Amino acid sequence: MSWPLRALLGPLWWAFAFAAIYALHGLGCALGWTALPAPVWDLHRFVLLSGWLLSLAIGLLIVRAMPDDKSTAGVIARAGAWIGLVSVLLTLFPVLNLSSCEVTAPAENLFAMLPP
Amino acid sequence: MTQPRPNPPQNALRLHHELTRIWGRPKGWRGILVSVNHSEIGFRFMLTSFAFFSVAGVLSMLIRAQLATHDGAFLDTDLYNQIFTMHGSIMMFLFAIPMLEGLAMYLLPKMLGARDLAFPRLSALGWWCYLFGGSIILLALLGGVAPDGGWFMYTPLSSKAYSPGINADVWLLGITFVEISALAAAIEITVTILRMRAPGMRLTQMPLFAWYMLGTAAMMLVGFPPLILGSILLEIERAFGWPFFDVARGGDPLLWQHLFWLFGHPEVYIIFLPAAGAISTILPVMCRTTIMGYGAIVAAVLGLVFLSFGLWVHHMFTVGIPHMALAFFSAASALVAVPTAVQIFAWIGTMWKGRPQMRLPMLYLMGFFSTFVMGGLTGVMLAIVPFNWQVHDTAFVTAHLHYVLIGGFVFPMMAGIAYWMPLFTGRRAIRGMGEAAFWLVLIGFHGTFFIMHLTGLLGMPRRIDLYPDNPEWVLPNLVSSIFGFVMAAGFALFALGLILQTRYGPRTGRDPWGAGTLEWALPKPSTVYNIASLPIEGARDALSLARGEGALPGAPRHQRETLVVNMISGRPEHVAVLPGNAMLPITTAATIGVFVLLMLFGLYTLAPLGLIAIAAICWRWQGFTGTRQGHAQVTVAPGLQLPLSWHVPDGLARTGMVCTLIADGTLFACYLFAVGFLTVIAPNWPAPASTVAQGSALLAAGTVGLLALASGCARLAQGRGAGLAAGANIAAVLLLALLALRLDDPTAHARDALRGAGLGYVVLHAVVGAMLAWLCVVQRRDGRIAADRPGAAPVWRLWQDYSLASAAILAALVILQEAA
Repeated sequence: MSWPLRALLGPLWWAFAFAAIYALHGLGCALGWTALPAPVWDLHRFVLLSGWLLSLAIGLLIVRAMPDDKSTAGVIARAGAWIGLVSVLLTLFPVLNLSSCEVTAPAENLFAMLPP
Repeated sequence: MTQPRPNPPQNALRLHHELTRIWGRPKGWRGILVSVNHSEIGFRFMLTSFAFFSVAGVLSMLIRAQLATHDGAFLDTDLYNQIFTMHGSIMMFLFAIPMLEGLAMYLLPKMLGARDLAFPRLSALGWWCYLFGGSIILLALLGGVAPDGGWFMYTPLSSKAYSPGINADVWLLGITFVEISALAAAIEITVTILRMRAPGMRLTQMPLFAWYMLGTAAMMLVGFPPLILGSILLEIERAFGWPFFDVARGGDPLLWQHLFWLFGHPEVYIIFLPAAGAISTILPVMCRTTIMGYGAIVAAVLGLVFLSFGLWVHHMFTVGIPHMALAFFSAASALVAVPTAVQIFAWIGTMWKGRPQMRLPMLYLMGFFSTFVMGGLTGVMLAIVPFNWQVHDTAFVTAHLHYVLIGGFVFPMMAGIAYWMPLFTGRRAIRGMGEAAFWLVLIGFHGTFFIMHLTGLLGMPRRIDLYPDNPEWVLPNLVSSIFGFVMAAGFALFALGLILQTRYGPRTGRDPWGAGTLEWALPKPSTVYNIASLPIEGARDALSLARGEGALPGAPRHQRETLVVNMISGRPEHVAVLPGNAMLPITTAATIGVFVLLMLFGLYTLAPLGLIAIAAICWRWQGFTGTRQGHAQVTVAPGLQLPLSWHVPDGLARTGMVCTLIADGTLFACYLFAVGFLTVIAPNWPAPASTVAQGSALLAAGTVGLLALASGCARLAQGRGAGLAAGANIAAVLLLALLALRLDDPTAHARDALRGAGLGYVVLHAVVGAMLAWLCVVQRRDGRIAADRPGAAPVWRLWQDYSLASAAILAALVILQEAA
């Protein structure tokens, strides 16, 4: 694998995982997955959590697969892999315990707060 | 590979005259119209953007004058709406982006050791499109029909029902016209950095500015297509009533917000990264040391490039989005502060290990630090959903935006201008003027915008022109207005200083800052060819390069030549022959301008003629490409012989086409997102039962089959199948025309409108595919395609494959929709 691709692998994986889980979230809300049973929790949370854990596992594999190269190119490639893993961990952790599909639309409340 | 050895020294003056004759342009007006030189075009971009900056600055003064009192009678509401919309639009699209493009176009070849950019005529086309598009927008302001729906043009306000005039069309068409220049620059910059570095310069040895610009250009390739798609869809909705954003007919205004902010948030980083590149270049010189953490900074750029595409929804936190999705984007918005902070700490570390000198560029860098860090911190505050809800659409957000953009772009750009002006003009600054301007701008800026945070926290919404019932907002607004004029005075003084420097500044030597980087090794002001010979091992200093001891000395073959290298290793691969001066860029831009005006004035029946004219003039661009005879390899340096670009398949054009298809593919992906979003989220779905008949499936299958045939033909050696492929593409267009007649009424529902748009996309690709295939037929006939000359075939093949893939995906999508 060429060096630029190696360096891009982690962030690319995050981009894919982020887009896929966001899309699955929207799809699940629209199709009513929260009301469907699953081996653990409801189908919506089960799918999202499984997706997140799978993404983390693959992110970890990418980190582990990076050669131990001390050159600048090696450092950048390893940093790229870690960026991917940490981003998957931190941007998608809300699948753990937030309510899935409930919406708060505060815009009208904001205008209600303005002085008359 | 044998290492090239330095060439024998030659007479530097003779080389200079020889190169100037080949790379120069005619004097006078004709020269201005035909020039394609990167220094001139880059400088024009910067100068024009500065002119637009001045206009937008005057508009901001009008806004501040209006808001200085609670019942200001200075502007009426309609005009005020136009003025704040134009202020934002000009600053974003006509100042910031073109300014960074210009700086990159001017500097990159000099920093990388090349003689020009990869596609000089494309950069010229970009500038003319920018000038014409920007002029249309400005003229609309003078005519009182400027855009007035905010710089983000939210629907339904910008839809026909609520903006019946041409104001919104001016924005949609004018900005899209200008964006041609942004995409052209992105392709230009990416290919130049990847393929035109000095021989032997590996990617990891590039100057940091090149890394930042590579990241910026990649972001532009992916960031601009969502906005272009959104603008096209909205313009089609306004012109023909196709309901992409109309809720009653299956559209959704939130689709516009998604498409806009998919562009809009990365845009902030597109603006910031080049400025950060300037900082990473200037700061070590001002601190008399080297940059700390080269690898960490490159990794941070990598992180920013990707993470910045995961934040767009934080502009939409109040529209009613599920909690979990809010949390995804809130977390990503907070996370993006990390790579930004890595850079800030690397810069602080650089100052710590060096011996900073408070010279003029350093002063502006201090302005950057004090301002941008505050903007970053309010950014983290805004990333937190509950706080965001409280200050949404208030002056707090306006203050944050200006702290980030003026702090993160304007101050570094002022530092950059102060730093590189001797390179542009060969003269030093007039003592004291830049320093006085700095203090006026700094004090004026913080006086204006710091207090605006408080105005926002007091609840003042953005974009209002009167606040008669809110006496508590009067004092902070008055303070902001007074300091706003102080800041304006600072910018005016800065501009005056530059004008005086150009004419009266003391002459400077080659490297006035002691930078030691390649751009300063060139004569001042720089020559049209940049460098008499390209740097190689053993010939890297200014004198030996001027004497032609580097690679490719002079212009012995009387053509514009520069080296093309391997993307990663920097190994020299071939010699590119670049095109010379031409009227084509301006005539092409003018033709596109005519099409834009036809659309703007609602002359839709004539608009197809405009498209035909554009296709005809684009055809003329191929006149320069290729050669009708074989050429021997060129001796670039003793021990290094390379073929000319006409004899290699993997030339600059192919890399350029890959970049084009990345942008094209992003636009297509955004289209698929639009289909998915409306299907899943928009009210009034599912769509009414489709009346698309069975025969339509056959037509669609036939189209895909014909495109597959064309794609197969593109694989035959020496463009042998080009004639058949051209026919297949035309036949595909005819089938698509028949298919269009059988589609449901596209004004009835968003599903049908999207199908119509998708069909148009495939038609466009088949037409371009036919043109490229026919170009290969022509090139086979006239000898530009032969056993040792690939001609346009590699580029055509890429296009044909992409067209097939996108058409097949669209066909599968419609089949899925019908099955569901």
